[in-house]
Order: sequence, then structure tokens, then C-alpha cells
Amino acid sequence: MALSRSLAENLLQSAARCPERCAIQDGLNGVTYARLLRQAAAIAERLKELGLRAGERVAFIQPNSCEFVAAYYGVLMAGGVAVLLNAVAKARDFSAWLGDCEPAFVFAEPGNGEVAAAMSMLARKPVVLQAGTAEWGAISLHPVGSDDPACILYTSGTTGRPKGIVLSHGNLLSNTAAIVEYLGLTGEDSAVAVLPFYYSYGSSVLHTHLQAGGRLILEKNMVYPHAVVETLAKQRATGFAGVPSTYALLLSRVKLHDYDLSSLRYVTQAGGAMSPALTQRLRHALPRTSIVIMYGQTEATARLTYLPPQRLDDKLGSVGIPVPGVKIETRNEHGEPAGVGEVGDIWACGPNVMLGYWRNDAATREVKRDGWLKTGDMGRLDAEGFLYIVGRRSDMIKAGAHRIHPQDIEEVIAEMPGVQETAVVGMEDEMLGQAIKAFVVAADPTGVTPMRVQAHCRERLASYKVPKSVEIVASLPRTASGKIRRAALTERTQRE
Amino acid sequence: MSIKQQIRQFILANYLFTEDEGKLSDPESLMGSGTVDSTGILELIMFLEEAFGIKIADEEMIPANLDSVLKVVSFVERKRAIR
Repeated sequence: MALSRSLAENLLQSAARCPERCAIQDGLNGVTYARLLRQAAAIAERLKELGLRAGERVAFIQPNSCEFVAAYYGVLMAGGVAVLLNAVAKARDFSAWLGDCEPAFVFAEPGNGEVAAAMSMLARKPVVLQAGTAEWGAISLHPVGSDDPACILYTSGTTGRPKGIVLSHGNLLSNTAAIVEYLGLTGEDSAVAVLPFYYSYGSSVLHTHLQAGGRLILEKNMVYPHAVVETLAKQRATGFAGVPSTYALLLSRVKLHDYDLSSLRYVTQAGGAMSPALTQRLRHALPRTSIVIMYGQTEATARLTYLPPQRLDDKLGSVGIPVPGVKIETRNEHGEPAGVGEVGDIWACGPNVMLGYWRNDAATREVKRDGWLKTGDMGRLDAEGFLYIVGRRSDMIKAGAHRIHPQDIEEVIAEMPGVQETAVVGMEDEMLGQAIKAFVVAADPTGVTPMRVQAHCRERLASYKVPKSVEIVASLPRTASGKIRRAALTERTQRE
Repeated sequence: MSIKQQIRQFILANYLFTEDEGKLSDPESLMGSGTVDSTGILELIMFLEEAFGIKIADEEMIPANLDSVLKVVSFVERKRAIR
């Protein structure tokens, strides 16, 4: 079979190989590879008829569904750039992202008031479409180059300029192939997907299964962990992808040994450090399943390293070795390669490193140099080249599968009448890894209460960004130069 | 205070951050409306166990028991009746 040059071609090849196999199953709805391809082709045709030109953006504000997948691949077939937005965000985020990437079209669910509100704030209004299940039109792929942009994912919300990570067809294709290779995915595989496709991890689960010709079974979320495990058992799923909090939730609420999970070949974990203790508990709960610990970031498409499951015991705590085609280096403060065991900045190089940030060369130059990506994480490599993460430099809060910039929340709290200033940090949380804590200095203490601050945030921010705890304080700790000492606030939450 | 009032008060204070009774409709899906997420549901269960002296088994954590104020109230009433 000819080498694929894009994800759209991957779908074409899988549809030719196994047309009648189920590609995506969503409850009682399922779609075969042949139908998924025809639906994607119909979307591509429709977009071209409506005037979409190659390189133009098409945004998605959708939860996971068969229609979302068909429309996403339809955009890629038409040569468009798919912008995957966090579907549970609020109008202020949507308007900032849409204003930044200026899409020609937006796929959204009807009746989403936040989308309607965002549209009213935009100067250049995109055409809003609904993803459907039509199956007409010729199957034709717009020719794309490896370095042509395919997809944009936003990492932060409204503070300053939003940062859109631009991934090329080559980025997506190479990282997808690397993951398929190290997980050994085939057409016999079927995974239960709980992670949203608008996150790079969820997206990679989708693309890898469509390349392998496997089946993806959609589960909305982890609110009812039993339902997820029941689906794993009933559907004889071979794979599952989760973040540390997914596994903490499963292990605390579900008696896994009560279910027949004998078909579960592997589970993967990424999206933040999972403690060795939790890894061990997972290993004992699933003795016949391979546990694959992984590390990556959206700027690297999804995946940078993985720990081969047979090395889990002797390399416990490591995130493993680079995925095929990727190089990892640790560098000291002078930019020179760090020695074995020496902690340094983690840099990565490979065909998965993003093109850059959307229309933001200055931000791109900060992290991308000579083809190498500065991850912002600190780590050390052992003598065998296994990577251990020792810390993150940035202030980003990791709560469950979400990445949250404290500034996004601080900006919203600062808009509240009676608030003088505020600082937001992550506090340790048994289930989520981190939860959000806001410290607020009130100019008028009578009007500013923790509950009012939370209510104010809930109106304006996605629910996962609402602080779990708010403390009204007299002042914030500062450095001599007047900067807020975030580290001191984080330490304070740890002492509590 | 009735079971329903206690449950409503907990949800209003902890997920909607308000005392405005009009913000919470009894039949509305708590998950569908984005009121409760996967960690929120665990907090709700802890509250129900403490406030009503019941023990909720893992397999009872299903939408039929927990996805609206009305469903939660009827679930708690059933649990208390068989104590």
C-alpha cells in the first residue's frame, strides 16, 4: 500500500482495507469506515461549495461524536485547517479564540448560547454549520504538503493574546504513526475514548485508531466510572486512555476485579505525572494488562516519550524513551547538554514538533530554536536514556485532564467589583492532582465573599476553571521588585 | 428541613455558588447542564452519605439515581426506607 501523506489519506486507506468494520461507536449509533469516509467526503464537498479555500480555518465547538469525526476529517480532506476548541468553554474564550484564528466556518451544536454570545462579539462573523450524517459527493482529497497546517489547538484562554498551536499534516501523521507502532495497534483493537478530541491526547487516540483500522467506542466522560468499566467489559475493548485522575477515580470507585477485562490488552497514561504508588495500584488491579506511561505536550502534537511496559518495574517513575523519530535532550542553564542524571531543561526534536504558534512569531521563537522545542519541563536522563520529569517551570495548573493558566482566572476575578487584586495557584488534590485556589484581596470586604467570587467565575469561565477554594486575604506576598510570589502562596496551600 | 431542601441547598451552595433558588430546576440533568462533573459527583455522594446516614455502593453511582434533584431525592428516600 502506498505511503500515506495525511490523516485524510489514512482514513481513505483504512476504508479501502476494511470498509465494513465499525470505526466509531457512540452508544447505539455506529459508523463503518466506508460510511465515515463518505460522510467526511460530503462535508468536504459542502465546504468547498460554500467557498472554503485551502488553508482557511474551520472551527469546531463540539463534544465527541461520530459527526464531529466525519466533519473533522472532511475539513482535512478539503485542505482546510481544523481548529478544535474546548466545547465547554464560555463566550469570552470562544470570542477570543475565534477572533484570533478568524475561521470561515464554525461547526457547533444548535442552541449553544455561549457560541451565540461569542458570535455577537466578533467583527468578522464566520458561517455557523451543523455537523450531519449526509453521505454524498465524490471522494477527493485536496493535495497537501507535509508542512501545510492541518490543525490548531489553543492552550490558553483570554489573557493577552491566545496561543494557538499550529500542527502540520506531517506533525499529525508522524506522531500518529509513532504511537500506532509502539502500542502495536491493529484493526483488531478497540478502545474506549473518554478524553475529548479537542485535547491533543484525545485527538491522538482518535487518529491512531483510524490509521490502524480499529474501533473507537465513545463514552461521554468519567462522571459515572461504572458505566465506563461496563463498556470496557461489554465491548471487549482492548485499550483505554486516561490521565492520572481517571485512574484514581477508577481505582477508588470501581471494583475492577468484578468485571471481565480479559480482553483489555493495554491502558495508557499521559497528561501529568502519575505517582508510582498509583501506578502500582493500577498494576495490581489489572495484572494481565500492559500499562504504558507516556509524556508529551500539544506543541509536540501529542507524544514525546513512552515507557515500554516491560520496563515499568525497573524504571518506575520514568516517562520512558523517545517515541520513534523523536530525540530528547536535557540541557543545563548554559544551554549545554546535561550529564547523565543531571537535571536540566527538556528539549525535543522530531517531525512532531509544531510549526509554531498561530500568527505569533515572538512566542514561537521563545520555545523553538534550530528545530528543537523547549518543553518548559525539567528532567534528567539516566544512563540508558530513560527520562524522569522532575518539575514544571510554568505556573500552569493541571487539574484532571485540563491545563489551566492561572492568569485566565485572575483576569476574570479582577473584573469583579470590590476586588483589589488576586492570585491563583494550584493546590494538591487527591483526585485531580491539582485543584484551583484563589487568593483575593478585597477593597470592599463586605461585598466580596468566597461564594460570590465562585459565582462570578462560574458565569464567565468553564466550570473546570472555577476555583474550588477562595480565600480572602489582607495582602499578597511580593518580591522586592513588587511581583507576586506565587511560590509562597503554593507553599501556603501545601501547609494547610 | 426536607430531604429535597437539603439536597437543593447543597447543590446551590457547592456547584452553583448561589442562594438563588431559581437557579436550580428539580428535573434538570445535573450532568447535562454542566452543574456536576466527575469530581463533583463524588462530593455529592459524600454529602448524601453523611447527611442522610446511608451508604452508597459503587454500583449505585448511575445516572438513574443521581442525575437530577428529583432522582437524588427519590434515591435517598428508597435507601432510607430499606435501612
